[in-house]
Amino acid sequence: MGQFIARSLEAATIFTFAGLGELINQRSGILNVGIEGIMLFGATLGFIVTKTTESYLLGFLAALVVGALLGLLHGFFSITLGVDQVVSGMGVWILGFGLTTYIGSPYTGPLGLERIDTIFGVSPFFYMAVILVLLTWFVLFKTNVGLKVRSVGENPSVAEVSGIRVTRIRYACTTIGGMLAGFAGAVYALFYNPVWNYNFLMGWGFIALALVFFSMWNPLLLSGGALLFGLLWQLSLNPELFLPGIFSRYIWRMVPFAITIVVLVLISTKWFRLRWGAAKPEALGQPYYKD
Amino acid sequence: MGMNERVQLQQGDLWRDVRPGEVILEARGITKRFPGVVANDHIDFEIRAGEIHAILGENGAGKTTLMNILFGLLQPDEGEIYLRGRRVQFRSPLDAIQMGIGMVHQHRKLIPAHTVIENILLGHPQAGSVLNLKQAEEKVAALAERYGFKVDLRARVWQLSEGEKQAVEILKALYRGARILILDEPTSALTPPETERLLEAVQAMAQDELGIVPFITHKLPIVLAISDRVTVLRQGRVVARMATREATEQLLAQKMVGREVLFRLQKPDVTPGEPVIQVENLAARNDKGHLALDGVSFTIREGEILGIAGVSGNGQHELAEVLAGLRPVEQGRILFAGQDITHLPILDRWRLGIGYIPAERIDVGSIGDFSLIENVLMNYYFDEGFVRQGIIDYDKAYRLTERLIVEYNVATPSPRVKARYLSGGNLQKLILARVLSRKPRLIIANLPTQALDVGATEFVRNKLLAAKAQGAAILLISEDLDEIMSLSDWIAPIYEGRLMGMLPAAEAKKETVGAMMAGLQQEAYAS
Repeated sequence: MGQFIARSLEAATIFTFAGLGELINQRSGILNVGIEGIMLFGATLGFIVTKTTESYLLGFLAALVVGALLGLLHGFFSITLGVDQVVSGMGVWILGFGLTTYIGSPYTGPLGLERIDTIFGVSPFFYMAVILVLLTWFVLFKTNVGLKVRSVGENPSVAEVSGIRVTRIRYACTTIGGMLAGFAGAVYALFYNPVWNYNFLMGWGFIALALVFFSMWNPLLLSGGALLFGLLWQLSLNPELFLPGIFSRYIWRMVPFAITIVVLVLISTKWFRLRWGAAKPEALGQPYYKD
Repeated sequence: MGMNERVQLQQGDLWRDVRPGEVILEARGITKRFPGVVANDHIDFEIRAGEIHAILGENGAGKTTLMNILFGLLQPDEGEIYLRGRRVQFRSPLDAIQMGIGMVHQHRKLIPAHTVIENILLGHPQAGSVLNLKQAEEKVAALAERYGFKVDLRARVWQLSEGEKQAVEILKALYRGARILILDEPTSALTPPETERLLEAVQAMAQDELGIVPFITHKLPIVLAISDRVTVLRQGRVVARMATREATEQLLAQKMVGREVLFRLQKPDVTPGEPVIQVENLAARNDKGHLALDGVSFTIREGEILGIAGVSGNGQHELAEVLAGLRPVEQGRILFAGQDITHLPILDRWRLGIGYIPAERIDVGSIGDFSLIENVLMNYYFDEGFVRQGIIDYDKAYRLTERLIVEYNVATPSPRVKARYLSGGNLQKLILARVLSRKPRLIIANLPTQALDVGATEFVRNKLLAAKAQGAAILLISEDLDEIMSLSDWIAPIYEGRLMGMLPAAEAKKETVGAMMAGLQQEAYAS
């Protein structure tokens, strides 16, 4: 039972890191649907670096760097070139999926290192995630930088005439968002499930993406959603633990994704937009050109 | 020392000891060329401390260019700007803001989802890394108090009225230390009481030795009421500068347009004919699902204009859309020449002879990326003459467009130009042309002269009167009471979705109509 909760929290931690990255992105008005790709990159490179150097630190660093670079790349396409952000994000995902499969397959198998120590029975990343959630909330809603980020995401031209450098803020957010996604991937591959396998991430990035919409772009709600999905995921692995005999495990395995689809459909309805639409960053997904 | 601090020091220096009436900004020989036009042609003018200096000009006279140069959004090709005798260059709005220039935009530059105080603090160099809202609120509240603005600083901007939003923009500029305030069409979205309050605030700011520069296209009475000095632009040049007390409405209009402007329209004497449209007990809902029209009934006969007077948001737009077939009817019926058209599709209404001039000329009235020809075709594509076996006869459409451009005075190099390149006035003329040229029996004109300059306004009104003379029935929706009074035969003030009465224009008093628009009084006349 304790084990079950600890594992759920660990899964929730990964959703939180990736979701926070995406939330910061979207608050600045940039949609990155390719975080799954960035997570795959972070996971795979982190795994390879750690496996070859036997250093967790270097593995996580590698994941942060490659995440930042991919965030920058998505930023370059969507900010500087003004490409459709969904297209650019899908590009990042496909690149991640294809390339990591190619470079990762020789390393298929377990990491073979001792697991990172837990603190009071929970992963150290859990504490990091809690701090990061509170920090992100504070920065977004209580500081000048946060006000700038939110303003750029709501209406870049208003921000511009107020003297804000829109491009710079957006690049910073896509880069940080990429780093967090890369880190989330590394936590998955180096801690949660330290075995490299073909498509081992199984769509966690997309769940994190849905979580951001689910969270009304609020870090606190996001962490709540992450907990829920973490529990669901763990439940889907061991349904017999709580609900023996109800549905096969394959149906449970599907539940997080089914909920994701339901959430995405709900938030696209007219009803939702009229009632809750105000929470969405107004300029989300729209390229900005100075006139 | 950071960049911001350096400029702050400069500004502190720059604005020390301003004497009343001294020249604080001087523009010399400002010239800006765009491909094919000289938007600003050696413009000179000066702004004095404590003076309200209106810049007047039609659309396309170069006002916007000049404003953008003063605010650092554009750089002049020639000419210099001096602040208190010191030469300055604004490479960006940030430069201008830091030198003490504030801008109040016509299309508000505020973020609706944020609170008032967040909007005011956005981009402020002393906002602090962790926002100190309390301290900022105290300072802003003091400014608001001083100039008589009443705004809840914790409210979200989307909850505010137009007048309050404008107050927020002014406060934002003042809080950033503006000493010269540029006001872009300051009264265009305001109700009469809000306008009154703005004028008082502007006067109070002038008392504090600020320089105030309102840019105005129409609303000449505002210029006379608000300013101490006027500079008139036409075709990029200064054509007149004078003290306001020496100016009259007539004189300013003449300088702006370059010819005599008739403010008195000649209403043609038309005997009303058969009823064209009869509306009975009409009800409809708005986009949010609330009842926007309730029990509306009226009749318009051939050669009659019915003016719907009302403050925006009282159901007049829904009324126009219902008649045009764009919005479903909840209750009641619409008869066109005796035929029930309550549920008739839009295209059939066009064919019957209903013409619609929408209020949103850019979003609904035209497609910006289409040529003028294609935009004209939108009212003609269903005509046999223009389409044969599904193939559009572009030659014929070209000739029609060419003819309409000449007849309606649309300033454009060619019919093949994209509609988005037309100015507001020219676009409205084109929309008017394609509607009126079909000789509709009913014209629904929603805000036909909104945001047009004096010349274009006069043109549109005369065209509507000409259509009336030829027997068209016209439903005129306008927020401009003077327009309603001067064009209509009947006036129906609208308030919260109900017509408050039906007054014969010849006997209607402005005060009565104004009171009925505010829902204060209901009078029943038979139409």
